[in-house]
Amino acid sequence: MANSYWVEPDVRFVKQLKRLGGDTLKKCYQCATCSVVCPISPEERPFPRKEMIAAQWGLKDKLVGNMDVWLCHQCNDCSTYCPRGARPGDVLNAVRAYSIQEYAWPKWLGKIVPDGRFWWLLLAIPVAIFLFLLGVTGHLHIPEGEIEFAKFFPTLLVDIIFVPLATFWIPVVFGIGIYRFMSDIHKNAVAEGKAKRKDLNIPDFLKSIACTIPTILSHSKFSQCTENKGRYLAHILVLFSFVGLFVVTNIFFVALYILQIPGPYAQANPVKILANISAIALLVGVILMISNRLKDTGANVGKGSYFDWSLIILVLGLVVTGGLSQLTRLAHLPSIAYPMYFAHLVLVFCLFAYLPFSKLAHLVYRTLAMAYSRYSEREPCD
Amino acid sequence: MTEEQRAEDSKKGSILVVGGGISGLTATLEAAEVGYEVFLVEKNPYLGGRVAQLKHYFPKLCPPSCGLEINFRRIKDNPGISFYTLAEIESISGGPGNYNVTVKINPRYVNEKCTCCDECAKVCMTKLPNEFNFDMGTMKGAYLPHEMAFPMRYVISPKIIGTDDAKRALEACKYDAIDLEMQPKTVNLKVGAIIWATGWRPYDASKIDNLGFEYPNVITNMMMERLSAINGPTNGKILRPSDNKKISKIAFVQCAGSRDENHLPYCSYICCMASLKQATYVREQYPEAKIFVFYIDIRAPGQRYEKFYKKIKEDENIFLIKGKVAEVQEDPSTKDITVVAEDAVGGEKVQETVDMAVLATGMVPNTVDTKLPGDVKYDPDGFVVSDLDRGGMYATGCALKPLDVTSSNQHATGVALKAIQTLVSS
Repeated sequence: MANSYWVEPDVRFVKQLKRLGGDTLKKCYQCATCSVVCPISPEERPFPRKEMIAAQWGLKDKLVGNMDVWLCHQCNDCSTYCPRGARPGDVLNAVRAYSIQEYAWPKWLGKIVPDGRFWWLLLAIPVAIFLFLLGVTGHLHIPEGEIEFAKFFPTLLVDIIFVPLATFWIPVVFGIGIYRFMSDIHKNAVAEGKAKRKDLNIPDFLKSIACTIPTILSHSKFSQCTENKGRYLAHILVLFSFVGLFVVTNIFFVALYILQIPGPYAQANPVKILANISAIALLVGVILMISNRLKDTGANVGKGSYFDWSLIILVLGLVVTGGLSQLTRLAHLPSIAYPMYFAHLVLVFCLFAYLPFSKLAHLVYRTLAMAYSRYSEREPCD
Repeated sequence: MTEEQRAEDSKKGSILVVGGGISGLTATLEAAEVGYEVFLVEKNPYLGGRVAQLKHYFPKLCPPSCGLEINFRRIKDNPGISFYTLAEIESISGGPGNYNVTVKINPRYVNEKCTCCDECAKVCMTKLPNEFNFDMGTMKGAYLPHEMAFPMRYVISPKIIGTDDAKRALEACKYDAIDLEMQPKTVNLKVGAIIWATGWRPYDASKIDNLGFEYPNVITNMMMERLSAINGPTNGKILRPSDNKKISKIAFVQCAGSRDENHLPYCSYICCMASLKQATYVREQYPEAKIFVFYIDIRAPGQRYEKFYKKIKEDENIFLIKGKVAEVQEDPSTKDITVVAEDAVGGEKVQETVDMAVLATGMVPNTVDTKLPGDVKYDPDGFVVSDLDRGGMYATGCALKPLDVTSSNQHATGVALKAIQTLVSS
């Protein structure tokens, strides 16, 4: 090699990766099959062979803050062809999980969100906040008459919780992680010769984000996978239903505060129709994700750790509680509908509040890495 | 050796050797030459096994005629040896020191009167795939397995029995050497010990779906031996199969299906050396040719092989690239082959377009699917496990594990002694 390099193995890092689903990493013997069979790896300095040796040697600085780790979509074509069962696709997934924790701020949340022992605490936080707010405003009972969720959980109260969450917590907390992430991947790409551009120009980078969006929406990376085809459909359904629900939420926000039209809205309302279609798509997508992972016989779908499963279960919980809230409301079952709505809000809170610490953070990190890869001319804009 | 001496030998005890390749020949001769009666059973119509298919073999890079001929000479001179070709073991009963073995001998349809005049082959019309050449080229239904075949006698393929070809061959034979009515025979043997030298076959490269074996210009290492051997389909000229073009660039793909859980999980020991050796074949015929060897690790076991490897590395037109080929493409118009690997040292993808690619496929024990008649244990890969505590039956050569010729011979000599120990102690 051109220059010598002082290797400082971080054994704890290796152990963490193993715990996060990368337990096969030591089996790799560097034959480099993976880098060739990967359908989405760039021609120059391809991954994941170099990431595998870095993982074995505990070279944290070569992996955390390495954009290539995020360009991987865990098709697991590499794992299918791997002669040793080292499962590079799963190892890179573990590196991503580790990176999310590494960039998380505050650090303690980054530690407890992926830790299976603390799921109850994560649920208890919104439950306590909600109970407190409902209690002090005198709403801690099942309301009489026609079911209207606003009678139980006033919309203003919902927004007092969620508006700061969306406009302050996520931008600030996630912003810190994103800033560190961006400066790290830029430094790493320049140092390893993966970036053709050595500067980091914000307007140009924003253009690269714009050119990345079509790739993400069309799932054109996923569709190049030869193994693991089922994931394409499952993931695109989940993504688009979240987009749909995001649109619905914003329209209703405008409807409520600007147009002054409170819910519940008629089932024939086009926005309501979009909401229901999105919910059904989300349910189908998440069930596909679960069945893909459960029926996996070894090679194809990623093994998945608590980190992966917790997000899937959370999304399943969201769609089930949301759907049942509406159905029991329409069926006039207040004793089920109101608690269900409460549970739904608890899970929505979890989704947003823990976004920067959960697997959902990949939504931002992968988008940024893909955009940076285009910005740095590692990959062309398509 | 006189008849009395032979009777004396059989009193000392008899050994059955199954497989007439280099390991079986060695075991047979080592036991017979110290005075034991040996029965050698070979399923092919000739002795010599895989070595007979090579152009050159280690350690001295001599053609197989060199080593095999002296062994055949020793067999001919030794009345203590009985050998059967086209023969299979049907059943074994008894235990160490006292086995009853039934051997089925399939008809050759040609008797000892054959002079190898080739008249029978000349009149045969049907062309059969030439298995000795791994189906490169064809052969007639009446054929000599190869030029150095021992016994030097033609064979009529069962595939032409009952056809006009067989009748024509019978009529063409001036020496009354063809007997189309020949029937399978059964021979019963009493032996005290059995040596399994059942050998290997190349891994089926068509099972490796990313290495392009479906393209005519992607061949295996054993095909390369036949392509280079003077008695091969091209009379020793290395020409690529699709259009008989000369070679200016060639790629060797190491570990094709070897050290791979999806295929053969083990290393076949000698494929690296085989490819380096084949690089010398190419160099001999094409002084300018560029030779690319893609490997995971070059395994050159022992001082002699290491020296050979060092010598190969001095050739400026041999490029050794650390990175396994994982993608092979064919240009449909030129039939050129492009191999793709990641150079793990430089960290960049390498694509080489070559005239021909050679897959270094590994060794599969013949016992992987055809189990031996008798109480024999196998390892998970199908190799025979010798039960040394029980004794009586011993595996050697590539029936035991992937080996080169030198190690096979050393092992077979040791196993001959083991077999003798069984005879002496029982």
